[in-house]
Amino acid sequence: MPLPRLLALFLAATPLFAAPAHDLYLCATANKDYIVGAKLNTMNGVLLRGPDDTYEPVGTNFPGIYDLVVDPRDSRVRYMATLNGVFVTTDGDRTRRVTTDWSVTEPHGICLDSHNPDCVYLATPDGIVVSTDRGATWARRETGLPERGKYTQVVTADRTKAGRVFAGLEKGIFVTDDGAAHWRCVFPTVRTVVDIRQSPHDPSLWLAATEGDGLVRSRDGGLTWEKVTTSFPEQPVYNVSFDATNPRRLVFSSWMNGVCTSEDGGTTWTTRNIGLPADGHVFRVAVDPDTGRLYANVHHNFIYTSTDFGRTWLKQSLAGAIVYNFVFVPKN
Amino acid sequence: MKFSALLLSALALATSLVAQPSSTGPVPAREVVQGADQRRREYLARIDEGIDWRLAMVKPGDPVNRDVIALRLARRIDPAQCSRDVIEYMKEPGNGPFWMFPVVALAELGRDQLTPEAKAAIRDGWRKDVQWRGDTENHWAMYYTSLYLMSELYPNEPGNTWYTGKSSAENLAEAREYLIHWMDLATTVGQGEFNPTHYIGEYAIPMLYLSTWAKDPAMRQRGHMMLDWIFADLAANSLHGVLRGPNARTDDTSVIERWNALATFFNWINFGDVPPPAGYGGWGIHYFLAAANYQVPEVIYRIATDRDADYTQRDLKRTRRRWRESSTLFDPVYKTSYMRNDYAVGSFQGGYADPIQTHVWDVTWDVADPRGVHNTMFSLHPYSSGTGMQMYFSDYPEPMIHGAVDLGKPSYDSPDKVLGSSPYEQVWQDRDTVIALYDIAPGTRFERVNGFFSKDLTNVTEDKSGWIFAQGGKTYLAYRPLASYTWEPSLNWKQLPATTGYSWTRVDNGDKLLNSPHAKNGTIVQAASASEYKDFAAFQAAIRALPLTFSLAPVPTVTMTTLRGTKVTATYGQAPVVNGKPLDYAATWKLHEGPYLNAEKGGRKLTITHGHLERVLDFNTLTITDRVK
Repeated sequence: MPLPRLLALFLAATPLFAAPAHDLYLCATANKDYIVGAKLNTMNGVLLRGPDDTYEPVGTNFPGIYDLVVDPRDSRVRYMATLNGVFVTTDGDRTRRVTTDWSVTEPHGICLDSHNPDCVYLATPDGIVVSTDRGATWARRETGLPERGKYTQVVTADRTKAGRVFAGLEKGIFVTDDGAAHWRCVFPTVRTVVDIRQSPHDPSLWLAATEGDGLVRSRDGGLTWEKVTTSFPEQPVYNVSFDATNPRRLVFSSWMNGVCTSEDGGTTWTTRNIGLPADGHVFRVAVDPDTGRLYANVHHNFIYTSTDFGRTWLKQSLAGAIVYNFVFVPKN
Repeated sequence: MKFSALLLSALALATSLVAQPSSTGPVPAREVVQGADQRRREYLARIDEGIDWRLAMVKPGDPVNRDVIALRLARRIDPAQCSRDVIEYMKEPGNGPFWMFPVVALAELGRDQLTPEAKAAIRDGWRKDVQWRGDTENHWAMYYTSLYLMSELYPNEPGNTWYTGKSSAENLAEAREYLIHWMDLATTVGQGEFNPTHYIGEYAIPMLYLSTWAKDPAMRQRGHMMLDWIFADLAANSLHGVLRGPNARTDDTSVIERWNALATFFNWINFGDVPPPAGYGGWGIHYFLAAANYQVPEVIYRIATDRDADYTQRDLKRTRRRWRESSTLFDPVYKTSYMRNDYAVGSFQGGYADPIQTHVWDVTWDVADPRGVHNTMFSLHPYSSGTGMQMYFSDYPEPMIHGAVDLGKPSYDSPDKVLGSSPYEQVWQDRDTVIALYDIAPGTRFERVNGFFSKDLTNVTEDKSGWIFAQGGKTYLAYRPLASYTWEPSLNWKQLPATTGYSWTRVDNGDKLLNSPHAKNGTIVQAASASEYKDFAAFQAAIRALPLTFSLAPVPTVTMTTLRGTKVTATYGQAPVVNGKPLDYAATWKLHEGPYLNAEKGGRKLTITHGHLERVLDFNTLTITDRVK
């Protein structure tokens, strides 16, 4: 085999040497010790990872941007779930508009349908709100949701089926197949479902993090769900992530057990906290889809990274940070 | 007297006024000011006192201070300097509702005084930085009032000139819609964050600004009517200038030193019957700016200051908005206040009405000078729960406990706290009798009941009958714990100076805590005026003679006849049976019911009465109707 081809194959198989295909945005606050009226430098809102692993704010310095989704057709078009409702920007967040009214508050999750990116879904404390016109107008779409117990933390669109979205509610995992016209419960819970993720390797494989039922999994595209057996099922799970570079690698975060990883597709799990603060209060984890590098945010602490899937951790940056979400966006 | 002596006397007087404002001066005489002109003069003098005091604190070379600029604008002092200071101040603008409304005051007061450059600096602050709206009703009252007034002040401007991205008209419409929605709730099913000791300012000040500066006469009228409603409620629930009874929100200091609260500032400025808290509660400065444009009507003034009979006031309030862990969005709060000249007894029915700073019931007694006095008696379950807080907050349970403690609620997770409501507390009150029952679920954090015994009680006696007798002022008190207990110091919380975050220390001021470490538990309190008995021993004998039986298993239950002859059986988890009939709170409670305030549920209409005076606030017609009966 000619050397250039060997080199090309090597580079393709070694993500660390490849140019990153994704930008990493944080939805975060870094304002430890801030109290109302205090004169402290704070950095809040959407932060973009730079080449040297520093983070720079994008858009407004706003404490309370919880989630971000970017239009796959135009990365300047972004939707942010914030304390004040939804911010919509069409110019990469140089300017923005709050497109929801006063009745929409504190949404924590937002997603769009990649088959119909004009259609945006919003998870709010009192249900699900949908826009079909790129966030210009919003309407509640709650047929099939319970009258009470519809607190919604997360919405996740199925990348393989138009109009199919999963929602994490207080009362369980709900799904719609018709763009939120109707919802049905596919996994009941007594406490909130806080994260729902689709495998980047197998679109029929899903994982969800819950406050009361630990980690749950679906192998049939979300039709049925089962609890994932771990050695610490009683603890609330905060979020979960697949490793796009390795289908056997999974990770979740929890308040008491810190970072927990599996390298056999979820059969066995190990806590991976060496180098993290002793209290283990890990708020968010994520896996870089380009490199497999692990990110963890310890609550009101720092961002930590691991290049050996959690065996060792390095303190990275952002003192006092709370990262609500790590959002990897394909470069275009 | 020579001129120089006159001048020196005047200076000395001015100095003493500045050094010793009303907060440290003598307690006002308990006399009703009969003349309207005199009431007005005294009201304006109180406003002047506060403004004088703050301006006199300014020293040459002090950094630019937003509140000082506003006070100077209110006095029309040196607008050129004010303009320069505004420009300097706006170089580092703040964020959120607590910043927005004071800046609205700058903008409104400076309309005809500030330079175009200063006005532009303020206006630009509302373009660049997205303002944090907050997540509570008080945040939204401040936020939307501020957005409303600024959008009115700068009409016809496009979305790219506002941080919301919405035009002036869109901002105005959204703010107006929310404010009317909030007023609708408050005037039909009751106010959330009811009777707050501090947060009353977060409502009263925005409503004052709305009533003063709104261009739309309807919104101006709404602001004025809400102010009347808030202050009528304050007057009816205050005794000699101090807010009594339960509070949706209070704090570790105000819950025991009842005078030391922003609510006292509003009693002082409106009724003049109490010394204001130090520094006018801080927030008083913002109220002074527009206070001359409002004054409570005589009928409300007299409710606060001119009473000749005991009364029971029942009010319907509501919980904060419940996101989860609840079958309802709001739960009703059924409040009872029994007011006498010597003491007040207040409560609501118990339960988890607000997540962090609620005070459910107490007996508070009158003292000649309330400053530094802990004139209260109550018990509570010191509930602490992250999942409990999830009912009200869209956050994760585990960080919330730390968050509450870090964000100025230091006692939240302390077993000896004296602040907070619990889902495991059920309270019944009839006049000056309170029965509080506790059935704390196994595994709940802190399976104990705390009873607060003030340093200012006298004659505290643990009687072999099981009652604990005590005297507070001219009030006899009897406290009956239903389970065994021990005593420990009740350490107060004292805030320390801190450059970042909050810093606290615990201080032993002599208060005692009755610690009853039992999940099934209860407290009975009886109060009476000393004047009703020959002596303290006679009161004790009457208490011992009360028919009383109780048990704690399977659930706490008490059957007794109160000092006033009411027969009650209170059983945890069931409606109290009063004189043979189950008490139906939902059917019994109106929005307001008593000799002074009356309103029907859903009515949007409050009738305020004192003697021959009557004022009707009707939000259906946006009218204020006064009459002399």
